[in-house]
Amino acid sequence: MSFTINVNNAPIDVQEGETLLTIMRGKGIKIPTLCHMKDFAPSGACRLCVVEVEGKRDLVTSCTYPAEPGMVVKTNSSRVIKARKAIVEMLLANHPDDCLYCERNGNCELQWLAEELHVKERRFYSKKNSDQRDHSSSSVYRDPAKCILCNRCVRVCEEIQLVTALEFISKGNKTKVNSAFNKGLNISSCIDCGQCIMVCPTGALVDISHIEKVQSAINNSKKTTIAMISAGFAASVAEYYGLKQTDNPIGIVTAALKKMGFSKVYDMSLANDLNVILEARLLKERVEKNIHGPLFSSCCPSWVEYAEKFIPDTLPDLSSVKSPQQLMGRLIKYEFNEGANRENIYTVSFMPCVANKFECSREENTSRGISETDAVITVREFIRMLRSYGLNINHIDPEKCEPPFDNNSNAGLQMSFSGGKAEAIAQQINLMSNGQNNKGFKFTVPKNPGSRKEVKIKIGKHEYGFAWVSGIMEFQKYLNHLKEESRTDIHYVEVMACSGGCAGGGGQPIVIYADKQKNRKKMAQDLQKSISNSVAGLNSDLVKYTLLAGLPENAPEFYTHYHERNILK
Amino acid sequence: MDKRLSNIFDHFPNQQRDDLIPMLHQIQEEFGFLSEEIIIEVGSYLHISVNKIYGVATFYDNFHFGPIGRYHIRLCHGTACHVAGASTILAELEKSLKIKNGETDRFGLFSLEVVSCIGACGLAPLLEINKEYYTALTIESVKNIISHIRETQNNEYEK
Repeated sequence: MSFTINVNNAPIDVQEGETLLTIMRGKGIKIPTLCHMKDFAPSGACRLCVVEVEGKRDLVTSCTYPAEPGMVVKTNSSRVIKARKAIVEMLLANHPDDCLYCERNGNCELQWLAEELHVKERRFYSKKNSDQRDHSSSSVYRDPAKCILCNRCVRVCEEIQLVTALEFISKGNKTKVNSAFNKGLNISSCIDCGQCIMVCPTGALVDISHIEKVQSAINNSKKTTIAMISAGFAASVAEYYGLKQTDNPIGIVTAALKKMGFSKVYDMSLANDLNVILEARLLKERVEKNIHGPLFSSCCPSWVEYAEKFIPDTLPDLSSVKSPQQLMGRLIKYEFNEGANRENIYTVSFMPCVANKFECSREENTSRGISETDAVITVREFIRMLRSYGLNINHIDPEKCEPPFDNNSNAGLQMSFSGGKAEAIAQQINLMSNGQNNKGFKFTVPKNPGSRKEVKIKIGKHEYGFAWVSGIMEFQKYLNHLKEESRTDIHYVEVMACSGGCAGGGGQPIVIYADKQKNRKKMAQDLQKSISNSVAGLNSDLVKYTLLAGLPENAPEFYTHYHERNILK
Repeated sequence: MDKRLSNIFDHFPNQQRDDLIPMLHQIQEEFGFLSEEIIIEVGSYLHISVNKIYGVATFYDNFHFGPIGRYHIRLCHGTACHVAGASTILAELEKSLKIKNGETDRFGLFSLEVVSCIGACGLAPLLEINKEYYTALTIESVKNIISHIRETQNNEYEK
């Protein structure tokens, strides 16, 4: 049923059940919020979305208030503005005024509100939160003093990622957001996905920055600093700066990195191809041996951490192939730069993800004290570096990265969004079973967004079932479904911890009030147009550079292992 | 697992989320406080995240996370007791026990907790020690109560 309400002296047609906030946002009327998140049930915690409804004694929170016929609403009366200003002033009462030193300076929702509402002096004083900052995690840094208790991180952690690493502790004015028993995130159930960073309105949750580490390596004349860019990273940078496919974003990023002082820049798509080839091989073997239960992809470090912490019984079915980042690091340190002293090679990967920071510090990815990847720079950090180096991306001429890159397939780009890797694996298995002649092979993605993301294809003698899920909550539901129905027709499950895949990753630029995931995915798909090779196995460079360099495909260097982690879950 | 804990778990065969708070009450009754180890056991039994349980338990003042004294003093600080001078009683208790609100003394004999209304406002100010109520307190009577407990303890040790 639809009816009309009156907002700021203008009639608006609304549907029954819509909340005032969604109506206003739809009409372009800005209402500030600090706790509201798209696709979540409203919580009404921050009270900033208050509006005046005629006939009501008190202001109402528009995020929780459904529209009623004949309503007269004011969103910008002086009473509303005064109330909002008072709320912000109270939030600032115990806030450390160190904006200049804050990671989120200039991109902070609280800072914007203080500016918009013209807060000019401190009216309320309160004791500042003196809890210790949490440096313990390898990817997420928490500063409790900046927390405004909006509950976004708590809800994302529980409702989307299912891990509840962050929770409200205590009550009243003693309430704090913390990990279990007030102990560090490193022993909590945190899976380093960084989704809490993406939703935090202030600087209470930020990533552990590797910028300084990388800068000192660049400036160290003994070290050779080598960059490796993931294709998804380049797509995100292109999306952020509004570059087009024809601008050659990977070339521009390469040139920018060279200007920053990196000695060499590699395209990680090569390692993506290797990863796809090895994983397809594993899958084919499993299907031929008729092993029940699906093979799970292992390229998402956050998902691997979830499996290790919560569902260790799936570890035997987790693909043992190293992730592209680690494969690339391995190839660079041991194969491509033969003769160089490995200790002096410093590899930096460029990723749209913070969990990679955790991954590169894993013990399994280090041999004899030399890690395969030394540092990880996220899209956010890269944008900051560009700015601090005074580089304007629109005035940089693309350069070619270090060979090999010419024959890379589009697997690297495909892996930056959910469903892409499953397709790449299917293509590769088709190549392995049918050779190059089977050009008509099609991997059709189910169009209906509500449907389960499953595809069944007959390749060679066997029928393969591919499935893909993103977001740990969705994955857990899917896993439970597979177990309950004891399904044996699904052979490969691509799991990505962040919803939407790496396009929604925890290292992407924090863009408030806009859903950028789709644009990033579209950019990655656009960039595929400039790549002629669509199957990983057709990448002839891979054979030339790695397999002929003395590393057979089953070299133990390409595989890793996982172990159960005992944490506070 | 502790036998006492598994006995408590036996009272909750359904393993539902809403068993949590009654279970925590029984555990505190049995063990005196909620230890980290026990919270982890409860989490894996009820399939609730440890952090969630910790969050729920810290919400209620009733739950303790460290050992309490043999004599656990709960001083009422509701409105009526406040008006009747609960603050001076608290000061006296802190002075004579040498502990602050929420602490346990180093002998494990006394622990002190200030609570909201106990529900006997006509008898204000009052406190509760191990389910015994001491009412219409004065500084003198508090001194007597504490020294009486100390004497009983000493006598027990001498025996």
